[in-house]
Amino acid sequence: MATESITRAVPGTGPDRLPPQSGEVIDRGARVAFTFDGRAFTGYAGDTIASALAADGVRVLSRSFKYHRPRGLLCCAGQCPNCLVQIGDEPNVRACTRRVEAGMAVRSQNAQPSLDRDFLSLTQLAAPLMPVGFYYKTFIRPTALWPSFEHVLRRAAGLGKVDLASRPDACDKAYLHADVVVVGGGPSGIGAAVAAAEEGARVALFDVEPSLGGRLRFSPSQSGCVEKLLASVANRSDIAVYTDTAVVGWYQDNWLAAVTGSRLFKIRAKSVVVATGAIETPLLFDHNDLPGVMLGSASQRLIHLYGVKPGEKALVVTANDDGWDVAADLAEADIDIAAVVDERHSCTSPAADELISRGVPALFRHTILEAVGSKRVRAARVARIDPLGEADRSAARNLACDLIVVSVGWTPDLALFHMAGGESVYDAQRSEPQATAAPKGMFLAGRAAGAHTAACAMDEGRIAGRRAASSSGFGNGPGGSEVSDLLARKAGEPVRTSARTVVPGKKKRFLCYCEDVTDVDLQTAIAEGYDSLELLKRYSTISMGPCQGKMCSMNTVHLCARANGKQVQETGKTTSRPPFVPVTLGALAGQNMEPVQVSPAHQWHLDRGANMMVAGLWLRPEDYGDATAEVKAVRERVGLMDVSTLGKIQLTGPGAPELLERLYVNQWRKLGVGRVRYGLMCNDEGVVMDDGVCARIQENEWYMSTTSTGATTVFEWIQWWVQSGWGEGVHVVNLTDSYAAFNLAGPRSRDVLQRLTDRDLSNRKFPYMRVRSTRVAGVLCRVLRIGFTGELSYEVHCPASYGMHVWEALIAAGEEFGIAPFGMEAQRVLRLEKAHIIVGQDTDALSDPFSANMEWAVKMNKRDFLGKPMLTRISERGIGQRLVGFRMARRDVVPEEGLQAVRPDVNGKQEIIGWLTSCRFSPALNETIGLCWLPAHVAAEAGTPFQIRRDGELEGAYVHHGPFYDPEGERLQM
Amino acid sequence: MSTWAAPVKLSPLHATARDLGAGFAKTSGWQIPEVYSTLEAEISAAERGVALADETANGKIRVEGEEAEAVWGPREVEIGGRVVVDSLHAYRLRRDCFFVSTPPGRDIPARRTLMDRASDQFVTVTNLTHAWSEIRVVGSAASTLMSRVCGLDFAGGAFPDGAAKQTSVARTTQLVIRRDAVDLPAYSILGARSVASYLWDIFMEAGTDLQIVPIGLGAIRALESR
Repeated sequence: MATESITRAVPGTGPDRLPPQSGEVIDRGARVAFTFDGRAFTGYAGDTIASALAADGVRVLSRSFKYHRPRGLLCCAGQCPNCLVQIGDEPNVRACTRRVEAGMAVRSQNAQPSLDRDFLSLTQLAAPLMPVGFYYKTFIRPTALWPSFEHVLRRAAGLGKVDLASRPDACDKAYLHADVVVVGGGPSGIGAAVAAAEEGARVALFDVEPSLGGRLRFSPSQSGCVEKLLASVANRSDIAVYTDTAVVGWYQDNWLAAVTGSRLFKIRAKSVVVATGAIETPLLFDHNDLPGVMLGSASQRLIHLYGVKPGEKALVVTANDDGWDVAADLAEADIDIAAVVDERHSCTSPAADELISRGVPALFRHTILEAVGSKRVRAARVARIDPLGEADRSAARNLACDLIVVSVGWTPDLALFHMAGGESVYDAQRSEPQATAAPKGMFLAGRAAGAHTAACAMDEGRIAGRRAASSSGFGNGPGGSEVSDLLARKAGEPVRTSARTVVPGKKKRFLCYCEDVTDVDLQTAIAEGYDSLELLKRYSTISMGPCQGKMCSMNTVHLCARANGKQVQETGKTTSRPPFVPVTLGALAGQNMEPVQVSPAHQWHLDRGANMMVAGLWLRPEDYGDATAEVKAVRERVGLMDVSTLGKIQLTGPGAPELLERLYVNQWRKLGVGRVRYGLMCNDEGVVMDDGVCARIQENEWYMSTTSTGATTVFEWIQWWVQSGWGEGVHVVNLTDSYAAFNLAGPRSRDVLQRLTDRDLSNRKFPYMRVRSTRVAGVLCRVLRIGFTGELSYEVHCPASYGMHVWEALIAAGEEFGIAPFGMEAQRVLRLEKAHIIVGQDTDALSDPFSANMEWAVKMNKRDFLGKPMLTRISERGIGQRLVGFRMARRDVVPEEGLQAVRPDVNGKQEIIGWLTSCRFSPALNETIGLCWLPAHVAAEAGTPFQIRRDGELEGAYVHHGPFYDPEGERLQM
Repeated sequence: MSTWAAPVKLSPLHATARDLGAGFAKTSGWQIPEVYSTLEAEISAAERGVALADETANGKIRVEGEEAEAVWGPREVEIGGRVVVDSLHAYRLRRDCFFVSTPPGRDIPARRTLMDRASDQFVTVTNLTHAWSEIRVVGSAASTLMSRVCGLDFAGGAFPDGAAKQTSVARTTQLVIRRDAVDLPAYSILGARSVASYLWDIFMEAGTDLQIVPIGLGAIRALESR
């Protein structure tokens, strides 16, 4: 037992700081200065914000959510909402678990104007107007006033402020794998980890606390045991220990989520041991939320971990031997014990004997009625329990104290176990839930499994560890006698939890600290018909706040059962869902991982001031400052566009033509070596999914191009069919990144390319729709003579690593011809002048080739191809809408893409008949042109007028058939 | 015809390396980052934490076909395993698909050799040297860094030296090969060159607290020859 001299408060970082305690986690040699609501404080390294403030006598840490009642430390373990504070731009930090840092600026939340004087606490006066579920009943009418109501309500209730302007801290994720994951680093968890590792399993051990040991860390009589436990884990390479890490969720197949700081771990476990311990349960009595009312374990944490006196004079309320142990700890910390109120008739606790012998008043068969005080506890009102088990108010009396320590029971922490599908029943004899059926690959141990003593918990942990190891393929599991011996020992342990959850009175008794829900609120809700637990939860918001039911779930079940006249075991439980503890959105998001693709000439574009745009995952030049000039360069001279983004797929083998026949709507078998053909691809519903060209490089080698954004989809599409039985004699390789591709377009393009190659590029030797392998600027390239822009043009495909070299060589060779790089905007205009479609822009998920005006590409006489059955039906049925060109009546008006096409109906009313997909002003034609979907009968005849609704006005337009520019295609054949 | 500079092969990380102050060396037609700071500092950084190197110049060949295994002779190799034949390192990705890694400049002759070996079979040998980038993560903390960007198990013996797996790295498709530098864990990350710059930045950001640094091929050679 500690002597008087070491239990007195000592000068240090606050008047309530105790002398050094064995097992304390603070470093008294390192002081840390910080502020709370602008006031300067000093703590020690290792202090939490709350412990440092408590050492300085600060008792009120926050204001409650609804009534703005003062709240102080309750659990000191990060489980309740009573100490939520704001640190800089980070809201809802739990002061009892966040360690204090130098310069930290801590602010209280939800208090106006100050924590000490919060005028919104007047809300309590209007409590009768705000019963449970009031937001479903009031502030509803008049509807027009709701925005005002909402503004006021949101300001009045809340949990800190998010600074939208602040930059989030760096967050990331990490993946972990283990044969056995142990959740909980108390005696049972450590026992499980060591036992599993001894069987040969690779173990990951998680604990939410800064160090292992569980409750033993703040149980001085067990300090030797903690050291042994830690030694058993230390230096074991097969046990990875993660402290300060909360396992927040279980997902299918033992996929766990854990959070430490701003890092989210995704953990794949072969088996899991849940050794999460138990959560101390509050008791409901009048003003049970007053600062100074604290759970027993919280007072022990303050004393033993941080060397802080939780009060000067304490009343201990208990129903088990744990409470007497707490009282003994308080007495050793030089705290005057006003009395120990025990609802039992007597006890055999050694701690009780010791305290009673020292003159501590022991009030057996008593309970507490009320915490007396306004902003902190000044006294406790206690009363005898009558023979019927109720508090006898006639004999109540006040006992002066500034601290009420409640230690009446524990609830096994089964959240993860339940998330995984574990089942439990309520054990009325022990007044706590007991696990029954565990899910496959999950094992329960320690206090979570109902063990009450450290020795039992550790032994049970070892058994669970061996079971988990065996489940993961290591060892044979525990022996039968070992298990039966443990079960017998557990059965002999004393009951530790009281069935008494509420002491009725006339004031507020808070069941849910997060949402300010009282036991009376609960009864009201049940009386209104919300009598099932899940409905009750949703209506009252019990267990939906920051504590996620840790403080209120078990008491709610008790009260619900009582109100419904049922047994607790009949009432059930609410569903456990991840995350079990609050997780920041930043931690969930992790590091920003949005892939971006760039071409081999990307840096050149940036260096030349290109305006880049996002196309799929690619960054592409939209223009180099003047898209109109770029269009003009291509039409009049020569332009160069980076089309490396095009999908490129190689098909090899004798089966390639047959595969192509099935993939495309066109014919391929007869395409000669060295020739290129446009290809249109439909899905099996006959919808246009992609287009491009395909070149026959050799007899058994084909080179297919796809749209830039369709490259991956098309490759996977082909792979799917290849692996589904169409892959006989064909291999498919994605070469999209193998080749850089540049489109050299314009009447002088041949002159430019000829500067860089020995090959005869004349129209006779290298005609339209042909492919040639040739060296360009010394690099062996594939050159395709094709023309999306409608001009003489070549696509030069070179090995990507040479991309920059070839691009720069083409630019240099083109200087004397006035070459200009052109971007996507110029290309959009150029192709539109030729009425070439862009799949995905001019087509959608319902567009078939007939409607898209591309029936010329569909060869219905082929034996089979994807989409043929549906296209057969469409060809028989006819089409409803058709993609067609249009010219604007007013040449300089450029309607936005997506606008509606309209025509007057028989009543003269404007009827929507279609929509615009592409529209640009054409410099070559000096007028606005576009593509749009119109009813087939409207689109049938060139020159048919219709109108476009734009900004409420109607603009005239006329149907146009065929290319707008060079309709005969002469410029392609130059 | 015009004249032009001799063709030079550039890695997709060339601009990144240049911006980081790399000194380049020419090898087999490639411009390769040789050193960023000093050889000693880069070696030390890898030993202490983790380093990133651009090894895109390595040859990369894909061998596909039901008879692909015959290319390696009678040797049997499991999926994800490695076989070394005539100094070529081949990794079996699927039952019918191998990946072959060669030193810089050896890709073309190696492809020819493989095609000759497979001449009687329906086997497609594709040179992916230009298609894929290759980033080497090397250092005592390499496995830790990998676990932040990839869901595979990098701890213990789950991913031994010589193993290869196709997987997702930072939401991109990559081939990951464990290629230790003697006693230092190291991984080669191979995938589409268009995302190489993105991937490099992701690694550098994820490794900030591990004191990640870029290192040149000089340091890689030194680490591998210790």
